[in-house]
Amino acid sequence: MAFFKRLGGLFRSRRLEQELDEEQLSHLAMRTEEFVAAGVSPEEARLRALRAFGNPTLLREETRDADLLRWLETLVQDLRYGLRQLGRNPGFTAVALVTLALGIGANAALFSVIDAVLLRPLPFREPDRLVAIESHDAQSSAVGGGGDVSYPVFLDWRSQAHSFESMSVSNTTNFTYTGGREAESLSGAVVSANLFSSLGITPVLGRTFIPEEDKPGEHGLPLILSYSLWQSHFGSDPNVIGRAITLDDQKYNVIGVMPASFQFPVQNEPILLYTSMANDLIGKDPMAGQRGVSYLSGIGRLKPGVSMRQAQAELNVIQDAINRQYPENHPKKIALVSEQQEITGAVRPALLVLFAAVGLLLLIACVNVANLLLARATVRQKEITIRAALGARRSTVIRQLLTESVLLAVVAGGLGVLLAMWGIRALVKMAPPGLARVSEIGLDYRVLIFSIAVALLTGILFGLVPAFQVTRTDLTASLNEGARGGSGGAAHSRIRSLLVVAEVAIALVLLIGSGLLMQSFMRLKRVDPGFRPDHVLTFRVTVEGKRHAKAARAEFVRELLAKVRQEPGVTSASAVFGLPLSDDHVSTSTEVEGRVIPKSERPRVSFELVESNYFQTLGIPLLRGRAFTPQDEQGGPALAIVNEALVKKLFPGEDPIGRRIAPQISFGDTDEAPLRQIIGVVGDVRSRAMDKPDTPAAYAPQTATDFVGVMTIVVRTQMDPEWLAPTVRNLVASMDKDMPVRQIKTLDEYVDASIAQQRFNALLLGLFASLAFALTAIGLYGVISYSVAQRTREMGIRMALGASRGSILRMVVKHGALLVVIGAAAGLSGALALTRLIKSLLFNIAANDPPTYGGVLLLLLGVALLASYIPALRATRVDPMVALRYE
Amino acid sequence: MAKNDLLLGTLDLLVLKSLAQLGSMHGYGIVNYIQSVSEDLLRVEEGSLYPALHRIEQQGWIASEWKTSDNNRRARYYRLTAAGRRQLEREQESWERVVKGVAAVLRYA
Repeated sequence: MAFFKRLGGLFRSRRLEQELDEEQLSHLAMRTEEFVAAGVSPEEARLRALRAFGNPTLLREETRDADLLRWLETLVQDLRYGLRQLGRNPGFTAVALVTLALGIGANAALFSVIDAVLLRPLPFREPDRLVAIESHDAQSSAVGGGGDVSYPVFLDWRSQAHSFESMSVSNTTNFTYTGGREAESLSGAVVSANLFSSLGITPVLGRTFIPEEDKPGEHGLPLILSYSLWQSHFGSDPNVIGRAITLDDQKYNVIGVMPASFQFPVQNEPILLYTSMANDLIGKDPMAGQRGVSYLSGIGRLKPGVSMRQAQAELNVIQDAINRQYPENHPKKIALVSEQQEITGAVRPALLVLFAAVGLLLLIACVNVANLLLARATVRQKEITIRAALGARRSTVIRQLLTESVLLAVVAGGLGVLLAMWGIRALVKMAPPGLARVSEIGLDYRVLIFSIAVALLTGILFGLVPAFQVTRTDLTASLNEGARGGSGGAAHSRIRSLLVVAEVAIALVLLIGSGLLMQSFMRLKRVDPGFRPDHVLTFRVTVEGKRHAKAARAEFVRELLAKVRQEPGVTSASAVFGLPLSDDHVSTSTEVEGRVIPKSERPRVSFELVESNYFQTLGIPLLRGRAFTPQDEQGGPALAIVNEALVKKLFPGEDPIGRRIAPQISFGDTDEAPLRQIIGVVGDVRSRAMDKPDTPAAYAPQTATDFVGVMTIVVRTQMDPEWLAPTVRNLVASMDKDMPVRQIKTLDEYVDASIAQQRFNALLLGLFASLAFALTAIGLYGVISYSVAQRTREMGIRMALGASRGSILRMVVKHGALLVVIGAAAGLSGALALTRLIKSLLFNIAANDPPTYGGVLLLLLGVALLASYIPALRATRVDPMVALRYE
Repeated sequence: MAKNDLLLGTLDLLVLKSLAQLGSMHGYGIVNYIQSVSEDLLRVEEGSLYPALHRIEQQGWIASEWKTSDNNRRARYYRLTAAGRRQLEREQESWERVVKGVAAVLRYA
């Protein structure tokens, strides 16, 4: 009962005050009456009564202080006061809020990304025991990301290795689905039957594969649907189990549906269906039956207690034996990488760099806010001194200032949350294709709390400074002092200058880092790809399956090309397997006629199939000899065209025309790979990535082998190539209504995608650096203009004594330049050290590139000059007489 | 009267006891009552009384209402609540213990 009364008291404070007043008045009146009754005059009576009563205001306050819930009332009051104070200085409040919110929001957003991509364990059972088993050429130095194995080799591993609880392989590919309105290409994966149990996933419907289903049998091919495919194509039908689906002219039986959150392989494009290894073991010369065809990704679950090193050692022994037993296949070496590392390793360095940068940004933001608070402290010195003189207790003043700072930090935190949410959405949209686990990114509360804590700390620390000055200062002295601020002003100035110097140093590091990354990106963009990517449309047609025998496939492509070439606006058209910057690449070893090379040391070349017009369509220069003609496709001796890199490697200083090489494509076509005569040499192209120079490549006519089932059609157009897309779709549909047209993209898109990661890095770091730069400039301007205001009187005196405006200007500008020079010197060593860490992200530019460093220094100096010049100009415009009287 | 800790603690006791005797009274009346009953030995300063009254009321030991006094003046009258009566007993006991203790020490001083 009493408690509610207390709470009620909170809201009716005004009424209570009135009641208190009334009570006191009546008390006074009664006492006065008593005196009057005793014979005193009314005025005297009243005076005596008052004296006896005491200070009514103090009494009122003490009565209210006795209130048990006073603290809550005080808090509300302080909040209202704090809001009013902040509102009275909208400029300061706005700048402080925006600065803090930027720092907090940027940090929260980036950390959420890092948490989801790098830190959080994979969503599988005991993910730390999952390892990726990579198989690389024994001679190659490339490790990490890739490294495929062939199925027979994998089976050897599985039967001999004891370190693993389970081992599986997978391969992503596309399946043509004709059950809908038009033919569709669905991305799917062929996996070992034990993969799902190894990952620890249970289906939401039906079951997963049983080990027998890895081999083809009478049960037909099993199919597991992804959750999204089940929803989109089968209307979430609970009776979908047992249905027969036709893919690629093959019958599959649906046996299960995966949960919605399941993603494997964990990459950007979602996999829609899964089938077992039996899929790759049917038909004539199936892929999974060939020891030399490495196309599967391996993943294993270590037995409990077995370390990666032990497993690696065991597999090394097994692989050595395999290498010796089958010398005709390139010897491999095995690398074990934790599955988490496998998926995220590529983006880890970039993300860490960005995180460091955004942390520095938060630091600058806090420094700036601290500066602002200090400046305000000096201004409010007088106000606080007066309040102290009027009887405000130190604890009250501290409490009120504290409330203001906390209020600022909390509101900034709120804004920061909004900024973070928006930032995360933007980051996800901008995410380069290499960024895995994008779907798992969401707001992480830990870093939000951390950032707010940092902001709070800054606010509290520097917001309380004026309060502490109160006790140390002699009150009268500070009240009498001219100019704003008490004796603490000088100390404040020094701290503020120090803070600005720190800001400059940090900004320098960020600016140099971003300058390097941006230049890397620019240089990468300017790299000549070796072909002309503009105005080229590409799309894929799948010509495998029972319907297309070797001759029929070539015929189909020829017919399609003929039709495409007749379309208006088409300059030329061709077909290729092995489009630059796409994922189609086959590399193999080659023999050179007339040379005896041991099998294990045969050089590697990439092998591509092209139609006769290919080089012309793509703008790849023919340097020597001739290109293929349609006659070459019909038959005759096996031919090849090679690139310069191959010539440099295999025939340095010689003319390769007429020589013969034999790329060892074990496609199961013939037993022996034929010797191909080199008839031409073309220029190198950037076929794997824009930042990797080309490797030796050999091109063969498209009819050279029938293994390849997907051809990329390339069309050079006069107009915007995208306009041709509907026409192309119709053309293909008219020839074969069940053939889907996949991946219609312009060649420019491929180029852009290959530099997307660098663009992402440069963009983000550039953003952070610009923000840091802006904040530093503001901080610099603030400090200088404040010091100018302080010294207005001094400048007035100087001018009155005859100093020229120029010398005053120079004085101020020198001050600003000094701050920047000290800051830059401090930051320089930091920059040199830190930029070495980002070396892996740089392209074609050194970590200590002098022009970049020089440029940034000049930029900072320029800003210093500007930031100093403006306030200096204002100072010199003041009439000396006014300045002298300025207080 | 010097404000010492002992007296601050007993102020509540005096107020409660006065109200127990007076039934219902306003602040001024309580001051007078204490003064007269103690034969001028205890004079309560208004500065201490009202905060104490406010506090005691918040704790629910007394209740207040506005009434018109004898000479047609509006004043706030306080009275003891049931909880207040219990508190009074407790404080009275506690006071007696303190007195006994102090007297014992003084005897041996």
